[in-house]
Amino acid sequence: MISPLRIWVIASNTVREAIRSKLLYALLFFAILLIGTGVLVSALSYVERERIFQDVGLAAIRLFSVGIAIFLGVGLIHGEVDRRTIYTILSKPISRSEFLVGKYVGLVLTTWLQLAIMSVAFAAVSFATGAPIDLAHAAAIGLTGIEVMVIVAVATLFSAFTTPLLSSLFSVGIYMLGHLTRDLRQLGAQGDVEGFGTFTVVIHRVLPNLESFNLSLHAAHGLPISAAEIWLPVAYGIGYAAALLCVAAYVFERRDFR
Amino acid sequence: MPDDGREVVRVRGVVKDVRPGLGLRRKRILHGISLTVHRGEIFGFVGPNGAGKTTMLKVLMGLIRASSGRATVLGHDVGETEFRRQVGFLPENPYFYDYLTGREILRFYARLSGVRAAAMDKRVATLLDWVQLSDAADARLRTYSKGMLQRIGIAQALIHDPEVVFLDEPMSGLDPIGRKQIRDLILRLKRAGKTVFMNTHILSDVEMLCDRVAILVAGRIRFQGRLEDFLDGDERESDVVLSGLPADLASRFEERYGAELRGHGTRVELRVKEKEVADLLRAALEAGAEVQSVTAYRISLESIFMRAVESAEESS
Ligand SMILES: Nc1ncnc2c1ncn2[C@@H]1O[C@H](COP(=O)(O)OP(=O)(O)OP(=O)(O)O)[C@@H](O)[C@H]1O
Ligand SMILES: [Mg+2]
Repeated sequence: MISPLRIWVIASNTVREAIRSKLLYALLFFAILLIGTGVLVSALSYVERERIFQDVGLAAIRLFSVGIAIFLGVGLIHGEVDRRTIYTILSKPISRSEFLVGKYVGLVLTTWLQLAIMSVAFAAVSFATGAPIDLAHAAAIGLTGIEVMVIVAVATLFSAFTTPLLSSLFSVGIYMLGHLTRDLRQLGAQGDVEGFGTFTVVIHRVLPNLESFNLSLHAAHGLPISAAEIWLPVAYGIGYAAALLCVAAYVFERRDFR
Repeated sequence: MPDDGREVVRVRGVVKDVRPGLGLRRKRILHGISLTVHRGEIFGFVGPNGAGKTTMLKVLMGLIRASSGRATVLGHDVGETEFRRQVGFLPENPYFYDYLTGREILRFYARLSGVRAAAMDKRVATLLDWVQLSDAADARLRTYSKGMLQRIGIAQALIHDPEVVFLDEPMSGLDPIGRKQIRDLILRLKRAGKTVFMNTHILSDVEMLCDRVAILVAGRIRFQGRLEDFLDGDERESDVVLSGLPADLASRFEERYGAELRGHGTRVELRVKEKEVADLLRAALEAGAEVQSVTAYRISLESIFMRAVESAEESS
C-alpha cells in the first residue's frame, strides 16, 4: 500500500533541506539579477523595449528553473545512498518507491517555489517598467513548471542508479535533445541517410518533446493561446513524468545498498 | 509456518555473493548463514573485522538482497515493509540529515514510523532523555560529535517502541560513561520484553549483556548457542591470591598446577582449575601462607573467539 502520508514526510523534509541550504539563495539571487539585466539590455534598444526585457526575463526563468532542477536532481537519490542517510529511513515502514516518490515530489515543490519567487520578481520588474503582463506570461511560466516536472523526473531516474556526474551528463543531453527532437525528426525525414531517419523517429517517440512546453513566443508577441495548447502539454508532462518515475522505482527497488 | 511466535529472527541458508568492481568474478561474503533469535533475547553476533556481520544485518534490514536462502523477522520476509513498524535499526557509523536538529530528526523518524501526533512530543523528549541529549536537542546535527550522533542513532532506532532492535556496534564512538548508559538501556529493553540483535567485537559487552551468541568467521558461523554453555564445565577456573608463601612451595605449585606465578612482592597469584582450589588452599595454609582472595574466573569469550578464528584459519 502506497501511503501519501509517508511520501509527504519525505517530500516536506526535502523542501526543508532546500530552504536551509544557502546555495539555493545564491542561485535565486543570480536568477533575479538576470531578470533585472533584461531591463538594462532593453534600455539599449529604441524599439520594443518591453518585449526584449520580457524575452530575456522569461528565458532567465526557464534556464534557472531547469538548471536548478538538474543540479539538485542528479544528487537527489544518489546523495542519500552515498551518505548512507537512507539506511535508517528504509529501516522504517516506508517502501523504496514511497521514498523515491517523496524525494521527487519534494524537489518538484522546491523548484516550483523558486519558480514562484522568480515570477514575482519578473512581474515586479514588468510592472515597474510598464511592460504589459497578461495571461500568456502566466501560461508560459506555468508550462515551465510542467517542464521542470519532467526534467526532475529524468534526473531522479538517473540519480536512482548512477553518479551525479553521469546523471548530469545524461540529463543535460536529454534536455537539449528534448528541445530538438521535432527539428531533428524533420531533418531525418528530409535527409536520405539510411538509418538516420529511423533514429530521429525513435528519438522523437522516446525522448520528451520539451518544445511543447515552450510558450515564450506566444508570451512575447501576445499571440493567442488555445486551451489545447495548455492542457495537452500539462497532461503529456504529468504522464511522461509518471512513466519515468515508474521506471526509476522499478530500478531502485532492485538495488543493493552497499 | 515454523514460527511459533517465539522465533523473532529466523535465517536459513543465507548466501551473499557480490561482484566487486566491474569484473564478472564473484566474491562470496556470506556462506550459508543459519541462525535463530528468540523473543526477549539479547543476541550477540560477534566476529573479527570483515567477517560479514554488517552484511548479514543489511540482509535482515532489506538493504541488500540475499543471493539465496531465506530470512524472516517476526514471521515476515525481510523484503516486506509494513512490519518494520516493529523493528528498530542502528547502522554502523550512522549518518543523518545534518541540517536538522536532534529533536527535528527524531520527529522525522517518528512520523515515518507512524507514531501518533498526540504522543510524539512526549516520546521524542523521553528518548532524548534516555540518550542524554536533552541539552543538545535544539542544535543542528552538523554540530554533533561522533558519540552524540551514535546516541541519536540509538534514539531513532527506539523512537517507535519497536519489538525487536538491530544494533550494529552500538558502543562505537562512546566514552566509558556512554557505554555504561547504553548497556543499561539495552538491559532496560530486555526487561520490557524486547528482542535485541547486536553486532559487536567488544567481547566484554557480549559477556555482560548477551544471552546467546553466534561467532561469525569469514562468512561462516563457527559457534552458536547460549553463553553459559560455552563458559561452563571443566574449563571453569579460579584466581587465588596468596601471601607469605614459602619459596619451595611456590615452585611446587608452579610444577603441579602448571599455572604461572605472578608475584607482586610477597603476594602470589595463581590460576587453577576450580576443582583443585580446595587442595591448593589446604596445602598453602598448612605451610603458613595467608589467603588473600579467591575469585571465580570464567573462561572468557575471548578465548573461545580466538579458538574459533584459529580453527577457521586451519580449515581454510
Ligand atoms: N560493497 C562491497 N563490495 C565488495 N565487498 C564488500 C562490500 N562491502 C563489504 N564487502 C566485503 O564483505 C566482507 C564483510 O564485510 P562486513 O562489513 O559485513 O564485515 P563486518 O563483519 O561488519 O566487519 P567490521 O567488524 O569491520 O564492521 C568484507 O570482506 C568486505 O571486504
Ligand atoms: Mg561491520
